[in-house]
Amino acid sequence: MEGQTQGRGERYHRYYRAIEPMLKTPRNRAYTAAVFSFLAVSLFGWYAIRPTIQTILFLRQEIEDKAIVNQKMEDKINTLIETQAAYESVRPQLNLIFEAIPPDPEALNVVTQLRNLAQNNGISFTNLTVSQVPLLGADIPATGSAKTTKAQEGNFSFSVVLNAPFSVVKSFVDGIAAMRRIITIDSVSIVPSQEAGVAEGGKLLRLVLKLTAYYTAGTQFKTL
Amino acid sequence: MSNDRDILLVSIFTFFTVLSWIFFEVVKTTRTTTVTTNVQQIITPLSPHIDTDVFTILESRTSY
Repeated sequence: MEGQTQGRGERYHRYYRAIEPMLKTPRNRAYTAAVFSFLAVSLFGWYAIRPTIQTILFLRQEIEDKAIVNQKMEDKINTLIETQAAYESVRPQLNLIFEAIPPDPEALNVVTQLRNLAQNNGISFTNLTVSQVPLLGADIPATGSAKTTKAQEGNFSFSVVLNAPFSVVKSFVDGIAAMRRIITIDSVSIVPSQEAGVAEGGKLLRLVLKLTAYYTAGTQFKTL
Repeated sequence: MSNDRDILLVSIFTFFTVLSWIFFEVVKTTRTTTVTTNVQQIITPLSPHIDTDVFTILESRTSY
């Protein structure tokens, strides 16, 4: 045991004796100092200086960002107060928007308005077909993918067929375009009517209109 | 002699690599915003202007 320790000591002593002359030369000393300096700076730079600088910069950035967010929040609060005042000023007129685009489909209302328009023009429908309409705005059809449901949300189609002279047809179509309830005309088909006879305004024409009515289908306005 | 120079060069390259790495990390930290997406959505500016011409147009239309 003692012999082993002594042998190890002699070995290390031999190493030291081999290194010692090398370290004594100024050139080797300079190289060693430079190498260890670079390595030490690299090591401490990576494990100590970098995290510290990062933390400092992150905190400074956070303070700047918070100040900007605070300023923008204050601006937005002021804007919201202005918006609330503007909204209150137009609140009495909001029913006009609800009439133009109601929250629910209100298909019956559309049909009634079209019937009244037709009566004003002295005509009646030959046929009026309304496609599937949800009774409540939030109803979702049982069939069809989610994408299809979203695409159909907020409008429904219907078609109107009537026989009338050209002047009445024009007046009826103009009336639809001037209706407060927003209705778009998808297609218009005018062909000579099969019905016999000539009306006051000229020869009878068969008008087939495909229309689309819109609604907000949700709480967009209700929540205001 | 050549061996010493090689070790010195390796340590110098290591030093500059670490230095540039630290620099880019610091640049990345300064460029990255700390504001979350939710907050960015909340602070989106809002226009208080309401287009009142719409009411005039709707009033001019007929309700049957």
